[in-house]
Amino acid sequence: MTNPPDERGLELRELFFETSLELLQALNEEALKLEKKPGDEEIVRVIRRTVHTLKGDAAACGLRELSELAHQFEDALSLESTATQTAVAEIAFAAADVFTEMIAAYRNGTKLPSTKNLSKKITDLTAAPASGKTRRTRKAAAKTTTGKTAAGKTSTGRTSTGKTSTSKTSISKTCAAKTSATRASAKAVALWTEYEKVAMTKAQTSGLAVYHVVVKIDPHCAMPIAGRQLIHNALAAVGQVIAVYPDAKSPAATKHVEFVLASSQTVAQITAKGRIPTISEEVTIELLLEAKAAPQAAADQPALDPEADANPPEAEARAPEAPAPAAPFGTVAATQENVLRVEASRIDSVLNLVGELIIGKSMLQQALNEFAKRYPKELLRGKFGDAMAFQARVLNDLQRSVMKIRMVPVDQLFRRFPRMVRDVSRQCGREVELDVSGQDTDLDKGILDAIAEPLTHLVRNAVSHGIEPPEERRKLGKKPHGTIRLNAYHHGNQVVVEVIDDGRGIDAQKIRAKAIELGMTNAEEAARMTEAEVLDFIFRPGFSTAEQVTEVSGRGVGMDVVQSVLHRLKASVSVETRPGQGTTFRLKLPLTLAIIKALLFWVEQRLYAIPLNAVLEIARTFETEVHQVDNYEVLQLRNQVLPLLRLGRPVADGERKAKLFVLVITVGERKYGLIVDLLEGEEELVIKALDDHTFHTDLVSGASILGDGRVVLILNLPAVVEHVARSRPTELGHCNSGLLLSHTDRARMALTPVEGGQA
Amino acid sequence: MSRELHIVGFKVGRETYGVPITSLHEIVRVPEITAVPDAPDYLEGVINLRGKIVSVMDLRKRFGEKQATLRKQNRILVVEHAGRLAGLIVDSASEVLKIPADAVEAPPAVFQEGGLNCVTGLGKVAGRLVVLLDMSKLLAPGSLQVSSETAEKKTAEKKTAPKAEARGAGAR
Repeated sequence: MTNPPDERGLELRELFFETSLELLQALNEEALKLEKKPGDEEIVRVIRRTVHTLKGDAAACGLRELSELAHQFEDALSLESTATQTAVAEIAFAAADVFTEMIAAYRNGTKLPSTKNLSKKITDLTAAPASGKTRRTRKAAAKTTTGKTAAGKTSTGRTSTGKTSTSKTSISKTCAAKTSATRASAKAVALWTEYEKVAMTKAQTSGLAVYHVVVKIDPHCAMPIAGRQLIHNALAAVGQVIAVYPDAKSPAATKHVEFVLASSQTVAQITAKGRIPTISEEVTIELLLEAKAAPQAAADQPALDPEADANPPEAEARAPEAPAPAAPFGTVAATQENVLRVEASRIDSVLNLVGELIIGKSMLQQALNEFAKRYPKELLRGKFGDAMAFQARVLNDLQRSVMKIRMVPVDQLFRRFPRMVRDVSRQCGREVELDVSGQDTDLDKGILDAIAEPLTHLVRNAVSHGIEPPEERRKLGKKPHGTIRLNAYHHGNQVVVEVIDDGRGIDAQKIRAKAIELGMTNAEEAARMTEAEVLDFIFRPGFSTAEQVTEVSGRGVGMDVVQSVLHRLKASVSVETRPGQGTTFRLKLPLTLAIIKALLFWVEQRLYAIPLNAVLEIARTFETEVHQVDNYEVLQLRNQVLPLLRLGRPVADGERKAKLFVLVITVGERKYGLIVDLLEGEEELVIKALDDHTFHTDLVSGASILGDGRVVLILNLPAVVEHVARSRPTELGHCNSGLLLSHTDRARMALTPVEGGQA
Repeated sequence: MSRELHIVGFKVGRETYGVPITSLHEIVRVPEITAVPDAPDYLEGVINLRGKIVSVMDLRKRFGEKQATLRKQNRILVVEHAGRLAGLIVDSASEVLKIPADAVEAPPAVFQEGGLNCVTGLGKVAGRLVVLLDMSKLLAPGSLQVSSETAEKKTAEKKTAPKAEARGAGAR
């Protein structure tokens, strides 16, 4: 393996690693398509093109092993006899896996995985059919197959030259890619290659005239090679550049340059374009082929690569040929105006600063309020107020824009599922169709990365446990293939991601029985539980891991992991199921991790915050309205019975008449009431992590600093609810309370004893 | 010729303790402390140190004082350990002591018991004894993650904590 030592080489590699992931993703996707439509030539072509790009990129980065393997695969695909075989899809999957492993190995500097298996498969593929044994020569193939196939053929020879030419500037590289693609010595202009002829006729039939443009380069031009590219660019703007001569490396390259250009413009217009002061000395144009009257839609060619959107004319011209070997540069050059690749940490640091600014804003606001109080008649107040309002507005926009940078469409996550569903459904003998919608919903990159694992888990479960085997489905009168739907959408301040299957659903009775068996509840209690409460058991650690449970309930290895990840994200997961009809897992995710809108309140002289979107309503009531049911305090709110969580101390006898604030919150699908002492208000909080080495509590998910410098703790509601549920007092008449009391509070209370609860 | 250890001396109760000056970040007055629920009693809470959230431990409670009230002369030693900041409430922070390395004695074995396994040595300065503390032991996750109910049990378990490691870290 040659190792480019210089920094640029490393940069190039890094770029390659990133782009290669996209290529491999594309490979997977196409292989999936091919599996559905075996033998579809177009798909095989796309696969080959992808493999080819990968090969070229790998070669340019000096990753010889990868490039050779890709080359082998590409060669096999370019044989007509092999391309139509059904095994191609299978091998494409295997290839994608091996390539991924290899790239990971290159990246981490570890040992390369064995490629023998794959290359044997590929050799088998080429060897299997009788016609495939004797490989036709490239020329013959070029003549018999379409122009596109021909391009694929010549590309093999091209990469070798492409590889050597990747060292100079990126400009010359693109040139080299174009020119070396054709012939090694291209002096005779009249000799067009097969491919170029095909491209010319194609352009002609689509209503373009084909010109032969010769530009003499000014001998005084300091950078003739760069000038060449400038001319090329100028011409590409008026039409499709089909061919460029001579080779950028040949000595003639600095003197003149010839193009074959397909364009709808007139000769005069093209001449004007080609005439660039100090570079081109003379422009001669000759008409090669006249435009045909009936223009065909240029859209015949499907858009293949990202350049297609960024630069239509060039992309169209390039589409028929295989992408240039130095594609990392090609891609970047074509799209660099629109897309930047930035390290996530840089954006994070900007986001941090914005967070600090927001704290600064509330500091200023507070100072202004004080000022206004102290000098109510001061005229300057209005000015300050205006400035504040303006600043706040800009800050909001700034915050939103920075957030947007971090947002990526969930498609980035969803697109890995088709392959996974296919693999898992094969393993389990299921027939599953994956239906994806809402891919363009944006989500914070951090959240997206974090939910990848839980979501994978849910989808895998849906396939292996949710969907019944085909025979069973047939018996039930369902379609033999099950459907799993992945859906994402915005809902208020949240993003909802759903995994919906139409399988057998979850049997609540079985879960109930199992929960009793495992001692998580008793029969009496279980009987009283609502279905939602029962379904919650599947998220309990320990419940899911038992093997038998998986079989009976059909759900659950590691569901507790799913939930713990979501709790960490201040997100929630809920499950909805109808026996025989399917199950829906719904993940409700915050839009961002860094800043939340929160409701602030006081408990025992201390300030706490909870995410505002968890709050349904705020109710005012009296202690006398609070009833006690089986060690739970409840409140009847309109026609609902709301379980209450008393965060502070239990109520004393003398305080029975006191007024209460109850925050009605939702955790998962259920509602609770939080009894708090006093409300403070609503504020935007920049979440800072608590030092979790020191504090080992899950009650608090983070902290934030208010404008006046006070620290406020953000409560982790699911954990708070769980705490109360877990530590249910057994003594009759004692309700849970005092979750947020500190030791000093307890010590103080111990000195002045208070009877707990309402006996 | 022996090395000198630079030690920040502070008082908790009647004793003088010391931490290596290199681990000290700064000394601040005690600001408003936000208590964290469900934490052991010697974890006082968190403070806002110029926009950073720093957890604070009351060393007096950590060393067994039951009734510790905050007074004006109390200080918070903000120490840096393993890249994170932590605050230690002490009765008063006094001086920087220079102790020759050979004037430091290993702690008696009896110190390894109870809550004092974080002592790395005893330094002698002008006839006084300075108890040198090991930050990594003091702030080690294991020693703090216990909730108050189990704290005693856990510290009892840690009797067997390797002495050599404690000594090595403290002598630096």
